[in-house]
Amino acid sequence: MTERLKEIYGSVPVIGWLIGMLVAVVTESAFGAGLAYALYLPKVPALLGLTVVLKQPSMFPAAILYVFLIYALPIFFAAGLTAPWANRMAAAMEALPLWLSAILHLGVLYLVLHLWTDMSDYRLQISKLTMIAVMLTLSINVINGYMGEFSCSHPGFMALGAYASSTFSLVLFRQDRLFGAPILPEFLGPYMFPLGLLLGGVAASLGALVVAIPSFRTRGDYLAIISLAFMFIVKSVFENLEVLGGPRGMGGQPHWATLPAVFIGMAVCIVVINNFVNSTMGKALNAVRDNETAAEAMTVNTRRTKMTAFMFGAFWAGVAGGLYAHELRYVNPSSFGIQSLAEILAMVYFGGLNSVVGSVVGALSIQMLSEALRPLELFKWIIIPLLLILVMIFRPTGLIAFRELNVKRTLGPRVRKSGG
Amino acid sequence: MHKSRAVLVVFFMFFMAFSFMSCGKEREARIKIGINAPITGDIPKVGEGTKYAAQMWLEEIEKAGGLQVGDKKYKVELVIEDNESKAESAVKANTKMISEDGVLIIIGPQSSKQAIAAGGVANDYKTPMISPWSTNPDTTRNRPFVFRGCFLDPFQGPVVANFVKEELGFKKAAVLYDVASDYPKCLAEYFKKAWEGINGPGSVVAYESFTTKDADFSSQLTKIKGSGAEFLFTPQYYNEVALIVKQARELGFTAPILGSDSWGSAETVKLCGPACSGLYFSTHYAAAGAKGQTKEFIDSYKQKYGYVPDDVGALTWDALRLAQKAIQNAGSLTGDIAKDRQAVRDQLAKTKDFEGITGKMSFTEEGDPIKCAVIVRISDKGEFEFYKQVCP
Amino acid sequence: MEFVLQNFINAMQWGSFYALIALGYSMVYSILMLFNFTHGDIFMTGAYIGFGAATVLLFLTASVGISVPGWLLLILTILISMMLTSLLGIIVERVGYRPLRDAPRASAAITGLMIGIILETGNLAVLGARRFSFPSLIETVTYNIGGVYFTNKKILIVGVSLFLMLLLHAFIRKSRWGMAMRAMSYDYQVVPLMGVSLNMIAPMTFAIGSALAAAAGILYGMAYPVLDPYMGVLLGWKSFVAAILGGRGSILGAALAGFLLGFIEIFTAMIFPSTLRDLIAYTIILLILTFRPYGFFGQPYTTQLRL
Repeated sequence: MTERLKEIYGSVPVIGWLIGMLVAVVTESAFGAGLAYALYLPKVPALLGLTVVLKQPSMFPAAILYVFLIYALPIFFAAGLTAPWANRMAAAMEALPLWLSAILHLGVLYLVLHLWTDMSDYRLQISKLTMIAVMLTLSINVINGYMGEFSCSHPGFMALGAYASSTFSLVLFRQDRLFGAPILPEFLGPYMFPLGLLLGGVAASLGALVVAIPSFRTRGDYLAIISLAFMFIVKSVFENLEVLGGPRGMGGQPHWATLPAVFIGMAVCIVVINNFVNSTMGKALNAVRDNETAAEAMTVNTRRTKMTAFMFGAFWAGVAGGLYAHELRYVNPSSFGIQSLAEILAMVYFGGLNSVVGSVVGALSIQMLSEALRPLELFKWIIIPLLLILVMIFRPTGLIAFRELNVKRTLGPRVRKSGG
Repeated sequence: MHKSRAVLVVFFMFFMAFSFMSCGKEREARIKIGINAPITGDIPKVGEGTKYAAQMWLEEIEKAGGLQVGDKKYKVELVIEDNESKAESAVKANTKMISEDGVLIIIGPQSSKQAIAAGGVANDYKTPMISPWSTNPDTTRNRPFVFRGCFLDPFQGPVVANFVKEELGFKKAAVLYDVASDYPKCLAEYFKKAWEGINGPGSVVAYESFTTKDADFSSQLTKIKGSGAEFLFTPQYYNEVALIVKQARELGFTAPILGSDSWGSAETVKLCGPACSGLYFSTHYAAAGAKGQTKEFIDSYKQKYGYVPDDVGALTWDALRLAQKAIQNAGSLTGDIAKDRQAVRDQLAKTKDFEGITGKMSFTEEGDPIKCAVIVRISDKGEFEFYKQVCP
Repeated sequence: MEFVLQNFINAMQWGSFYALIALGYSMVYSILMLFNFTHGDIFMTGAYIGFGAATVLLFLTASVGISVPGWLLLILTILISMMLTSLLGIIVERVGYRPLRDAPRASAAITGLMIGIILETGNLAVLGARRFSFPSLIETVTYNIGGVYFTNKKILIVGVSLFLMLLLHAFIRKSRWGMAMRAMSYDYQVVPLMGVSLNMIAPMTFAIGSALAAAAGILYGMAYPVLDPYMGVLLGWKSFVAAILGGRGSILGAALAGFLLGFIEIFTAMIFPSTLRDLIAYTIILLILTFRPYGFFGQPYTTQLRL
């Protein structure tokens, strides 16, 4: 039986799974509420029943049944049934340019996500924050994973991005306590939002320059403390800048971090970072990490490589910070302290160094875990660290480390027609 | 293979059986009240006080058999969510309580850092929220659905300034505050403004700061001592108060030290010891010599949890009572959560002369209460004695 | 003048804590090339153990009815806490660091960080949210010499810290174990081949570092008598900065850098508006590292990340 299952499901391409998910989501929006009612669940379980498990344990079997009927069954059913058809589709898409095929896949994924989050605002918010966390994790993976340094300044970069893009949107488009009347009409705002995020990213990479110049004069662990000092400095600067609200923080950012905006941000981030780490530059970066002297001998300009990668990582942290500010619609210097550093580090090391997939997995699992364990209150912060310690002991570089993401092969069909 | 299939089938039957375990419960209409409290993170004591006060309130409701709204008695359920004293987490918790649990009203978050962000969510989803402790004006500004249970910094600053002027007659003030924390910083600013308004510019001779989690204030206190200030105003939390007062005395600073409502915790005296006796601070209510329902609350809290409640506990209690009153005044609940929330919000906004344990209050347009402050003196026995009442 | 002198005394006290904690970081860093991010929380645990020991001792002497002088109790408290905390250090090494000896160094840093979080939360779970006041074992006496105020506790704190630092210095320079440690810091892959066991030296390093942190914790409890589960976080990270600033392989450097950090923080608050303290203090450190990239006493070296 297992052989048979392996045979069927081993041959399902990515698009097949996406179709399965689509079917599941459609099933849920049609029958979810009814089934939840029949199973005496208070509502449609928001995060696959994760939030119910610890809050109301008696609901647990019902939630499992719900997940089985609504998600597992349709996904496997649809994916298994459509497998041959999906393979043909994947093969057809393989003939298209890679970017087009990737966009098609992402389009389907977005559709799934859109339908899924449409059912609950809580889901929507968690999904958005998780996607922002994915961006953050990926961006720190460039530095701590691909470059192999230990950087502690990510909250600082995030803060720079958050404040820069918030200032951009508040000065230009909003009537605000801090800056007064808007300069441009508000309807332009959402179209200019990417510009604001870009500004946030640039601000963060300029900040990275401040760290990079002294720390890459030599190889060593000085980046760790220079970046730590940088984090304290950034926090202190924002606390003292009364123009930006000081410790009171900055609120009232417009509602621009919508699902499509965050999704596009994350997709672009994943694609760009994946391309970067697979480029010559990315390989040079790995060479620098593994042996700097040897890399230098192989004509790699080590200092420039490191600086570029560092600023590149910071850039995406800044963009993520901008999205974060517009999602929470309030920023405050104390949100970017040591606590947030520990969280970001936990996500990247849990998921796996030097791996795009690992970062996605790490961010996703830590975010979901921290939502699921919320009812445990204090013990949540004993369980998550314990889990991370176990992961470190048994898989010291994280769950999925050192895996290259080959987009072409991933998206391609699983079964090729012989002679075809 | 057959064996494994059989196991699978048994497993499923087992699950099916269990999935109807919760069916016995009747689908009755309940009133859900959300509590958004910092149970973990930087200020666990605040979260604890919030939680305890809320549980005490629930017990009282349960003793009465539920909450009487109109002609129906409703069961009340508390949804307590931990916000880890982080803005992000507070926002998530609020969204969850509003869209998943379907709470009628939210009490919390306590500190402004979380309340401002979470208040935005509550207002967007048109769910009434009362932050018992957040003193930042931004929490309720332009948010018809957000209320607060305490007075604001712009009121408290002048209260202390006037008190010192009238009762102690000093001319030169020093201020020491935490620059990284919203509440002390704002209060310090308003105090400075009020004091300079009374005594002319330059009368605040030392205006010193530190950063959250600092423990050594010697450099700042040395500066303050050298400035010739006649008293020190430090609107800090109880754990810092103990350190500041002790270090000041060790550095030879003997002038009086004054504080604000953040001193109002039983821990202040426990940590500070005799060094703090004789000092004054402004707060919401005086625990020692309290009368009526205030005394009742303090006594039952103390009996239950073993210590005199902090101001957070008292304010949370009041916020819950406010919510209770608003729900009852709404007359009846339709069962349509959006309509009920709107009704409760309208009733809250109409609140006039509510007799809380921390004083009488009425809400302004912005959802801020107008209430009196009291000046409290720490007695030699370490009790908070009523000294004076100041009303707006 | 007395103003500067007063701040000098303040900075000596504040710097002692940074120095004592930085020593623990520096030892683990120099000998095993690891970041011990648990250290700040070991310091916290040491303070709490000291608090427990002092409370028990006070209770015992009171119930037996003998009067023991305060200084004796203090010494006992420090010794008990140092012993128990070094045990904790050994456990941390065994659980969090030894399994990861061949893993990337950053992974060990993460386990350290996570053990720290467990210690903080565990403390909160066991002892609850209330804060504790460290019992005053010795009577505070305030001296005033020409307008400069200081207490007997300040003298004691600076004295004990300096004594411990000298003791450690002597241990590392003069004893056979110290020699083994120094050898290990040159190359922990080759030295074990010469008959020095890494499984002996590594726990010892952690134990000594933790004992110093425990002493720092108790002294801290005497100076700032409010205990808090998160008290080690910021202090720990800042001491970490001091440890690396001191330079690798230099115990003395770490201690000096700790004092320097204390002085920078106190004196920037004295000269500039105190709101800008962190900003200016850490900019100075950034500048120091720009011009002395190997810290004060460290020799240039390259680290090989075993990824």
